[in-house]
Amino acid sequence: MTEIANNRTSRLRAVRSYIKLYRLLIRTSIRSRMQYRFNFALGSILAALIQLSEFLMVAIVLAKFGSVQGWSVHEVGYLFAVMTFSKTIYRTFGDEVHHLERYLVEGELDQLLTKPLPVLLTLMPRSFRVMFGEVIQGGAIMIWALGAMLGSGQVTWWAIPQTVFAVLTGAVVLFAIGLATATCGFWTTRISMLQNMTEDAAQTAARYPLTLYPNWMGVLLLTAIPVGLVNYLPALYILRGELGIWVFPLLAAAACLVLLFALRFWAFGISRYQSTGS
Amino acid sequence: MNTVKRVQEPAIEAAGLGKSFKTPVVAQGRFAGVRSLFAREYRVKEAVKGIGFTVEKGEFVGYIGPNGAGKSTTIKMLAGILHPSEGQVKLAGIDPHAERARCASGIGVVFGQRSQLWWDLPVKDSYDILARMYGVSDADKDRRLDQFAKLLDLNEFWDTPVRKLSLGQRMRADIAAAMLHDPELLFLDEPTIGLDVNAKRNIRGFLKTLNEEFGKTILLTTHDMDDIEQLCRRVMVIGGGRLTYDGTVEGLRREIGLPTEIKVTYRDGCTVPGERQGTAQSAALGTVGGASLPLRIVARGKHTLTVEVNRQETRTMDVLRELGSWGEIDDVEMREPEFEEVIRRIYG
Repeated sequence: MTEIANNRTSRLRAVRSYIKLYRLLIRTSIRSRMQYRFNFALGSILAALIQLSEFLMVAIVLAKFGSVQGWSVHEVGYLFAVMTFSKTIYRTFGDEVHHLERYLVEGELDQLLTKPLPVLLTLMPRSFRVMFGEVIQGGAIMIWALGAMLGSGQVTWWAIPQTVFAVLTGAVVLFAIGLATATCGFWTTRISMLQNMTEDAAQTAARYPLTLYPNWMGVLLLTAIPVGLVNYLPALYILRGELGIWVFPLLAAAACLVLLFALRFWAFGISRYQSTGS
Repeated sequence: MNTVKRVQEPAIEAAGLGKSFKTPVVAQGRFAGVRSLFAREYRVKEAVKGIGFTVEKGEFVGYIGPNGAGKSTTIKMLAGILHPSEGQVKLAGIDPHAERARCASGIGVVFGQRSQLWWDLPVKDSYDILARMYGVSDADKDRRLDQFAKLLDLNEFWDTPVRKLSLGQRMRADIAAAMLHDPELLFLDEPTIGLDVNAKRNIRGFLKTLNEEFGKTILLTTHDMDDIEQLCRRVMVIGGGRLTYDGTVEGLRREIGLPTEIKVTYRDGCTVPGERQGTAQSAALGTVGGASLPLRIVARGKHTLTVEVNRQETRTMDVLRELGSWGEIDDVEMREPEFEEVIRRIYG
């Protein structure tokens, strides 16, 4: 009995020290980045501009057609904003996973593997960054879209905590997709093309209601590359009252499941790491 | 219980260690890029094969071999970075692949070609972060760094960002970083590569202290014969992925016989005794005058003759006297063997 209790306290202590270390590594990453303030400032401004131009594309499409397959401008704006938020959270904490290719090609993962810590713990905080551009853009669209729908009585204030929940589970789903994609790199080394498909293209596709696409693609975006779980599925309930409240436990379960799968795959991938010569 | 048992375990135990890399065969011709995506054919390259050895606690082992022989691959397998395709590793009784995290706190690893320090931050900050990663207390950290700073002259660049360090400074900082958590076992992959004489001497002195005074077990790879001669009692040679020698440094020297190349220019040609027409590169020659000198002709020009002799067995003067009797000598050039060449010979 005491042994189990001891085990639990020691595991708890480990988790606590991991969190402390994680925070230290994030601070370190920010300090490193601040060595190049000009680059940081310019990067933030450019990111905001790119985000703006991306939304302009969507806005132009919406302005021309008014609605997409029965989804109003505000509803599509909502889909867009949820995706932006989830992606921002994923890329704020897990950007280095997205850039794993660099570690594989240059053998940089070696150093992380010599540390007595989980590789993801030392890998992820390496490029922690606050993505101001994305936050501002996503926030503006979200306020505009939700504000209009609250005003028209389409949704109640309950939509806000529900949206926060969807954004968080969405971030977990996007991270899991990113991690599983990156893990493929342990076999193929180069992964940028695969990422174009599973991350960039899939995320862009899910900015519109999935009913827009042929059936098979809709199914694909809810199962194999489940980006539809990030915004489309929750929006069906939160905005349109379809499905049921069970959407939320389903989202949580799905997020845990894909994350678990991605982590297992990652652990297996690391055992196939090939490093580089010398 | 556990600690008692661990003391008796050898520092490193490798058995039947092998690693093969699979690369898809690149198709030739049209749509090669697309086709190679679906290629089912693989070329399997065996980087390391059937390596087995035991290193006891407190040993200082040199691991040498030409580029591409599999040195780094072996070290990475020992350190838990690469999973072996076959065979097993035990470090102080622990499998570094089954229990990577646990094993990692007992080993230090230095790769001469890359740094584990934080590129943009002052050197001392890297030590703070590493101490936290390995769970080293502040008191231990300060005490050890104080020691390292004296032995490795770290103070002069304590506050300099790592990216601004010279190669020699960076390597010293990196070695201190690898020892910060006081591991019993240290792996060094080419720690003296590209360094000047002073930096090399400094690093060698530090490694010697670690081994002799603190009883650390060290395995290092190098291309510098001086590293081996000054530091290691035992040397292992790898060639073509296989262990070709494992023994003392003296034994290695004896085995190779360290051939010296002597290039003689004759004023007007020479006659090599017993030489038949067209067999200029004949093997060891028996010689005139009863005393047979073991020398080997490696190259022959119109006026020049290059021979190899084993200076352990033969005195240079005797060789020159012998060569002088074959023709009138104009000039003599002597070249000590390159280390790489010596290595190539013992597995070739």
